[in-house]
Amino acid sequence: MTTNNYDAIIIGGGHNGLVAAAYLARAGKKVVVLERRELVGGATVTEEIIPGFKFTEFSYVVSLLRPEIIRDLKLPQHGLKILPLPSTFTPMDNGDYIAGWDDHDTTRREIYRHSPKDAEAYDEYARRMARLAKAIKPILSMLPPDPTSLHPKDLMGLLKLGQFASTLTDKELYGLSKIMTQSAADMLEEWFETDALLGTKSASGIIGTFLGPRSPSTAYVLLHHYMGEIDGAFRAWGFAKGGTGGIAESIASSARAFGAEIRLNATAKQVIVKGGRAVGVALENGDEIYAKAVLSSADPFVTFLKLVESKYLPDDLVHSIKKFRTRGSSGKVNIALSELPKFTALPDSNVLHRGAVSISPSIDYIERAYDDAKYGRFAKEPYVDMIFPSMIDPDMAPPGKHVMSCFVQYAPYDIEGGWDDAKREAFGEAVISTIERYAPNIRGAIIGKQVLTPEDTERITGITGGNIFHGELLLHQLFFMRPATKWSGFRTPIDGYYLAGSGAHPGGGIMGAPGKFAAELALKDGI
Amino acid sequence: MNTYDHIIIGAGHNGLVAAAYLAKKGKKVLVLERRDIVGGQVVTESFGDGFSVDSLHAGGTLRPGIIKDLKLASFGLGPFGSARGKLDSVRKPFISLVGRTGSPTYKDHLVLDPDPVKAAESIKPFSEKDAASWLPFLDFMKKASQFIESANSTIMPRLPKDFNLSEGLGLAELGLDLRLMGGKDMMRIIRGIPMTAEEFVDEWFESDIVKAAVASLGIHGFTLGVMGAGTGYTLMHNWTNRGGLSHVSVPGGIGKIAEALADAVKSFGGEIRTNAEVKQVTVKDMRATGVLLSNGEEIAANNVISGADPKHTLLQLVGAMELPPEFVWNVQSIKMRGSVAKVHLLTDGNHGIPAGTVALAPSIKYLEKAYDAAKYHQISEEPYLEVTASGNVVSIHFQYAAYQLKSGEWKTESKKVEKIAIETLAEYFPNLKSSIKSRKTLTPKDLEETYGLTEGDLNHGQIMLDQFMFMRPIPGWSNHKTPIDNLYLCGSGVHGGGGVSGASGRNVVKVLK
Repeated sequence: MTTNNYDAIIIGGGHNGLVAAAYLARAGKKVVVLERRELVGGATVTEEIIPGFKFTEFSYVVSLLRPEIIRDLKLPQHGLKILPLPSTFTPMDNGDYIAGWDDHDTTRREIYRHSPKDAEAYDEYARRMARLAKAIKPILSMLPPDPTSLHPKDLMGLLKLGQFASTLTDKELYGLSKIMTQSAADMLEEWFETDALLGTKSASGIIGTFLGPRSPSTAYVLLHHYMGEIDGAFRAWGFAKGGTGGIAESIASSARAFGAEIRLNATAKQVIVKGGRAVGVALENGDEIYAKAVLSSADPFVTFLKLVESKYLPDDLVHSIKKFRTRGSSGKVNIALSELPKFTALPDSNVLHRGAVSISPSIDYIERAYDDAKYGRFAKEPYVDMIFPSMIDPDMAPPGKHVMSCFVQYAPYDIEGGWDDAKREAFGEAVISTIERYAPNIRGAIIGKQVLTPEDTERITGITGGNIFHGELLLHQLFFMRPATKWSGFRTPIDGYYLAGSGAHPGGGIMGAPGKFAAELALKDGI
Repeated sequence: MNTYDHIIIGAGHNGLVAAAYLAKKGKKVLVLERRDIVGGQVVTESFGDGFSVDSLHAGGTLRPGIIKDLKLASFGLGPFGSARGKLDSVRKPFISLVGRTGSPTYKDHLVLDPDPVKAAESIKPFSEKDAASWLPFLDFMKKASQFIESANSTIMPRLPKDFNLSEGLGLAELGLDLRLMGGKDMMRIIRGIPMTAEEFVDEWFESDIVKAAVASLGIHGFTLGVMGAGTGYTLMHNWTNRGGLSHVSVPGGIGKIAEALADAVKSFGGEIRTNAEVKQVTVKDMRATGVLLSNGEEIAANNVISGADPKHTLLQLVGAMELPPEFVWNVQSIKMRGSVAKVHLLTDGNHGIPAGTVALAPSIKYLEKAYDAAKYHQISEEPYLEVTASGNVVSIHFQYAAYQLKSGEWKTESKKVEKIAIETLAEYFPNLKSSIKSRKTLTPKDLEETYGLTEGDLNHGQIMLDQFMFMRPIPGWSNHKTPIDNLYLCGSGVHGGGGVSGASGRNVVKVLK
């Protein structure tokens, strides 16, 4: 069956693909989204894996969703509701704990309990981080200029970048330069001394990376995660009603309201290229759909090397994409619970269960977990970041029961010998026994669990290597080098074919920015 | 009282280069050296009868421009008084040890001869594709080296304010150099800088042994792992300083470079005093007035240039009291953390180690595992080694041996490093142990106490992404200047330094008012 006269086809119904579709439909274009699975969302999905219990399967918290996207697509009207996570609680090996709150003064008092010196440093640290995050934010909304090109557009872009740099004070410029290059550990150790504080903060420097807190350049990732905001509250992380799947559903609803079509169980096989132009998509089932433009929100490897034949791409680009690092390093353990885990370090109260719990007692703890991954093993004592969605959104579990969402590092995609059922089980067990050390009742409270390795992530969502950012946030894979030099502008060597996912600038996280940029460029190109 | 135009603290090679240039210009120059010999790290020392060794560096070549300007050929620097290109004729191969079988023959190892055709032949059995990539790789590294050389001779201005035209011009020229290389090479270099050595070599090669051999250059002398970002830069940096993969050893010992420099200084009218330890830089109203020696002697000068590392210079010789608090905090934060030890052996000549630069770098994972020890303040049980054998003397460069040990002290742990080094090497060269007559081990603590290197860091501050270019030694102070008006830094710890090139010494002279 051939369907014609679409303005744009979007491959992939992940959050970026949906954003792209919504923007294009909003501009009056006739668009169709092709989603392989039976539900939209990609890695932004919520599924009832165990009856009655909804798992925010892969991603679990949000902060970087662009405010302008929320506004433009009227997402709150389509059900988007993000509730901030008020705290992060880190149990310590000596039976104590350290917590971080969304209120600066409360946090300061808590840190003071452990180290007056750290409390004092915290004031200045928070100030500087906020300044740096604000300073670098414009980069998120900037189109990366190509420094190798003499095209006026790119030269203008470089000039703009230079102008931007000149608006920064010396302190901000140096601060940014340092934070873009240091290791999270080095940066934090200049400020603090409390192990559990250092460990917890350094963790946000390694999320989604195949690096350890002592690896240079991880301070950038820390800043990247710091840039989020909810309702203008800087660096607040939140939980969406319905899990991150709720975010995808609201964007899909908005896209449909603007007139976009979303086809589920529709697997794109190949982009149809004629005369150097993308003119449509051939599906696995033999269908062919035609359009003026094709946007792929899949990762760069799929976009460039699977959906099109190499003969349409320059050798350089093919080589670059083959070398593009996209090693998955994280796993997910989603658990249905009969009761909340009682952390022995925690005073008898449920308050901290409304926030996150972080197993990150020190920098070296996380560094050792990373060492395991370097040599092809999952971490024997992993870093775990857990939240209890049912504490924030009661609809996620039956009354009186709970769900628990655990993000785990490290679990390397390239585990020695490859992933299999036994290894997955063992990995899940390592996570449970780690949590058990701090909350002995957890094992007995488990009704059922879902363990996802990077290979599972790849199998289910299609993301190459199971890397949550569609490509690691390494310095040489950012900005005008993401996903490859000369091709960081969402356009590809094939006219009418665009990259619209996290593998493009500004990178990963639930941002929606790549989808929006790609859509706007397609419109500019006159589709 | 005698007032000098310039006092230079430390007769390391950068200090000597600065002194020579200044003396040649007619300035009244005094170099003060704590030890009884000149050279700093560029020394050839005797640890016993027939036990003469280049203690810290296996090879080094000054920038050709410096050799020419200071007429060093006429001061006995021989073939090293000529262009660097000619050094390839005396360069020996880089040999990467492969396999611990019974008695591995020379032929089994990866021999990267300076002759690219021979090198490619040796690579073939490991990977035909890599053998074909070798020449293009060398071509690229040549371009990258040119850029790094230019970058190191360009003074990094204090961006973005205080940006004067002449400094900006230098940067603009550098940018143009890069642009003229063409988009592809330009991006290769730009991307190569923040890459890990592992990623850098992975762009070119597929076999682990070839990758590890080249990648080892990225971690040599640094407390970083091949999987650490920025070792792509340090790989290019070391390649530039060596002029290739292997060392070029100076006939008669690397100390000859320091001797030639010292002779040049004296012949131009400069003074050098050894056994003259500077205890303090005397400061009044943010101006340096001279120095105070350990023996109580005060010497006045209009300018003071320090070739000691920035931490020692600013925190010990000047002192926190004389400096702005934020500046002091930044200097305290400079990461030194040396992790290199040297094990020198005097043998009866029957050690079995071939001539050249011999590396123990069998795989990427092996190298990374060696680094893990440094992270946790330990000594690598399976270390990365680089060995040079010259006649009866075998010099082992050992990584990693963390300056700050979690347990134990260097006085006793020194033996451990020695043992691991010898045992590890002996697995490849079975005749080694029985040939040893005498040993001399330098731990990071020895490097600090004897050679004045804070925390045993050979580079006067780790060369990492956040401590290089305009952030070296600290952001905003990359142009040799300090908050003390007429106190300047030269040496490896400032941009342009690191390696035996003399660039830092030459650059500081340009900055002097």
